[in-house]
Amino acid sequence: MCGLAPPRPSHSVWEPLTVPSLFVIRGNDQGTRFELNEPTIGLGRDSSNRVQLHDTEVSRRHAEIRRVDGGYAIADLESSNGTYVNGQRIRLHRLRSGDRVQVGRTLMLYTGPAEEGLTDVRQQVDIASPQQTGDRSRIIHSITGEEGSRIFDFEAEVPQNSWLARARSNLQIMYRTALAVSHTLDIDQLLQRIMELIFEWVDADRGCIMLIDPKTQKLEPQVRHVRRSTRADEKITVSQTIVDYVMERNEGVLTSDARQDDRWDAAASILQMGIREAICVPMQGRYDVVGLIYIDTFTTPQDIIHNVRANKFTQDHLKLMIAIAHQAALAVEDTRYYSAMVHAERLAAVGQTIATLSHHIKNILQGIRGGSYLIEMGLADHDESLVAKGWKIVEKNQNKISTLVMDMLTFSKEREPELVPADLNQVTADVIELMQARAEELDVELHWHPDPAIPTLVFDPEGVHRAVLNVVTNALDAAAESPERGRVEVTTEMCAGEGRVRVMVDDNGPGIPKDQIDKLFSPFVSSKGGRGTGLGLPVSKKIIGEHGGQILVESEPNQGSRFTLELPAMMPDNDPSAQTDGPVQDDRPARAD
Amino acid sequence: MRPQRSVLIVDRSEDSQEVLRTVLERRGWRTLAARRAEEGLEMARRYQPDLIVLDLELEECPPEDVYPRFERQASASGHHLIALGTVRPRGAGHGHGQFVAKPYHYGPLVRRIEQMLEQRSVVARAG
Repeated sequence: MCGLAPPRPSHSVWEPLTVPSLFVIRGNDQGTRFELNEPTIGLGRDSSNRVQLHDTEVSRRHAEIRRVDGGYAIADLESSNGTYVNGQRIRLHRLRSGDRVQVGRTLMLYTGPAEEGLTDVRQQVDIASPQQTGDRSRIIHSITGEEGSRIFDFEAEVPQNSWLARARSNLQIMYRTALAVSHTLDIDQLLQRIMELIFEWVDADRGCIMLIDPKTQKLEPQVRHVRRSTRADEKITVSQTIVDYVMERNEGVLTSDARQDDRWDAAASILQMGIREAICVPMQGRYDVVGLIYIDTFTTPQDIIHNVRANKFTQDHLKLMIAIAHQAALAVEDTRYYSAMVHAERLAAVGQTIATLSHHIKNILQGIRGGSYLIEMGLADHDESLVAKGWKIVEKNQNKISTLVMDMLTFSKEREPELVPADLNQVTADVIELMQARAEELDVELHWHPDPAIPTLVFDPEGVHRAVLNVVTNALDAAAESPERGRVEVTTEMCAGEGRVRVMVDDNGPGIPKDQIDKLFSPFVSSKGGRGTGLGLPVSKKIIGEHGGQILVESEPNQGSRFTLELPAMMPDNDPSAQTDGPVQDDRPARAD
Repeated sequence: MRPQRSVLIVDRSEDSQEVLRTVLERRGWRTLAARRAEEGLEMARRYQPDLIVLDLELEECPPEDVYPRFERQASASGHHLIALGTVRPRGAGHGHGQFVAKPYHYGPLVRRIEQMLEQRSVVARAG
């Protein structure tokens, strides 16, 4: 029988989090996320600021973040070193998602509230079957992604030297640059690919890409490329004057050393020396110039004599190089921010883990100290009842540390469930029996409704025991918060038709706030204050997930919650040792009935 | 005969409550206990204890908000306050409030409670 109890209205679990935040991606506070949830939020070095930064270059009261129609703005409070948004010094700036706020040495990334439009779009766009819509459209032509890249291929009827051919060629090179940029997160590989593309398209002999090292702020060569006919060991020397010009003015340049000066015999000079032409362009990203691309070519005196075209580089080349450099710069910036974010997130996670673990261990230690203190007193006063009382507290805390360690091990281990034929009702009944004492302690009724139709199934009984135990423990704690008498109902059900089996745990606790449901299964986010380890539900989810199942949560404020642990109902195969009726013959001891 | 002193313990940990209540009651003091901030404040107003032992890590209330509320209550009614916490709240250690860092040992904590109650008795007698 399926659906023993009607499902409660559920909150969508995938709803995006809407709290705007500042996330520190560089500086002493790297990895800290400041949630912005008040009308006015101080930012500065002083501890009175909600956004307190441990940065000596930040003023005590440096800036203020103010709520303005649906978002936030940042205002500088006449700080000594100023407030910068996306590299520009600001006095007041309306923040947009993705803005980079720099104060002192600290760099933060702003994430705004979820766009309201998002929910509207969901309501306004549907994916529906043709039967529902009456749509009679059919596919009349299809094209692969690969084919798309041929959009700019030359066609026979376009004369090769026409402006149209050049325009197509330019578009094609931009398209290919965009593709190259989108296909990798490895900066070296990306720059190498871009250099190759440039060489395919322009008659350059040598080229290099230099990036500004974020730490030293100096230009460092990253990629060097030479045409095969050129001597590979030849050193590329780029004029400092050109580099400075390009970086300072953020302009691309086309240079040639062909003498323009009338006072010299230009032709003679060229014949002696040949001509070197170069293009040098800044790599302008979304926020900063991240580096430059340089290419040059050399026309020998012999070539000039033999009438080979001298001016190989044109203004068109320069324009296109600027466009390519911009694409490359965007990719470099994205990659760098991505890595910085990953690093910062990791630091934040490690910090959070250590903070939470030490909090739990501290509380357990406090309990053990309390128990020991009573035992000491009891021994000194020859009072056995006091010793017994102290011992009970010590024992309880021993169990707590054992649970914490077991949860930590289960959570950290990459383990395969030990699948054996077992009885789900028995496993659940064991949990109920084990938790009955705790339920009485909390004055909560614990009821158990097994579905007798559940046959012997294949699953990891120890794992599932732990998963159910953690969910029931949570339910008991939640029910204890109920203003009425606390009540927890545990129900099993077999859905033979769906090939699924379920354990449902209902409580009449205060329910789970909508915005907390998402976080329930994240490790170390306990909403139970000091009682939970913050690992219980993540461990349950991991175990059930390893079985190919899932945990569903339905909750209604002030009415309670239902956790459904859903497992695939795997029947034992025909192996006589795994018969459903006979005793379990396995390496492991059979579970007592 | 010295009047019976009373201590209010505000702590969400059942273990800590039990240990302190046992120890203090054996010394002849009356104890009261609360798990939440609101409940604790209400009991402080109603029963006017001589001393409040307050664990700052309570549910549904951040430690930095818990301390000032109890401090105000302590100042208003003239009783002592010992705050237990991981981070010293601003202003703790002055006036009526004292601070003990967690994790603490019970021996020194109980001695401090004794001293504060004694001090109060002296003040009361002098008054």
